[in-house]
Amino acid sequence: MNDLILKNIVKFITPCIQLFGIYIILYGHISPGGGFSGGTIIASSLILQHITFGRSSVHTIFRKDRALKLIGFSLILYSLMKGYSFLSSQFHFPHPPTGVPGSLLSGGFILPLNILIGIIVSCTIYIIFTLFANE
Amino acid sequence: MAVFSIIMLISLMIFSVSISVIKSLLGSIIVFAVYSLVMAILWQQLNAPDLAITEASVGAGITTILFIFTLKRMRKHTPSKNDEE
Repeated sequence: MNDLILKNIVKFITPCIQLFGIYIILYGHISPGGGFSGGTIIASSLILQHITFGRSSVHTIFRKDRALKLIGFSLILYSLMKGYSFLSSQFHFPHPPTGVPGSLLSGGFILPLNILIGIIVSCTIYIIFTLFANE
Repeated sequence: MAVFSIIMLISLMIFSVSISVIKSLLGSIIVFAVYSLVMAILWQQLNAPDLAITEASVGAGITTILFIFTLKRMRKHTPSKNDEE
């Protein structure tokens, strides 16, 4: 699209949306939000940039084959971590330290699990969008 | 706040009937986005802010974009229908 106002506003607002999504992912265990909501917000910022500046502007930082590898790696890491968290509570395996309640590094496995869910959801929703928007 | 919630519930009923009644597809999509937004405010009223964030980002953001792009592709494949709307 060749609209000057749209381009300037999107240039300004896209980092704000991405920062908000990262905040929602990181603080998912002590405030409302989590991996899924933050991931969809980051994906919506990528979609906004795709609509405004064309697909080449997003594909410089986000390529489909790399994104699929990232999704696979994140899913494997997620399943390992989640299974270990179930087993460690059952069989009293060692588990990561739970910090002070209310601080960012508290809750053990929940913060890395939220980050992995955010990566998976944002990549998946953007890839679904590219299937729709293919010219 | 109870009056506000009742007004939003009645408007939700009107929206959900009008989505299936409206002839224009683009208007129906816009009403669906407004429905999701009002639903997000209602989740917040019902003390579920987590669900409110998810509804606002998925219902009003992603689903609307996907519907609009589906509509664009449909119109590209059937150009004769454009004149009726």
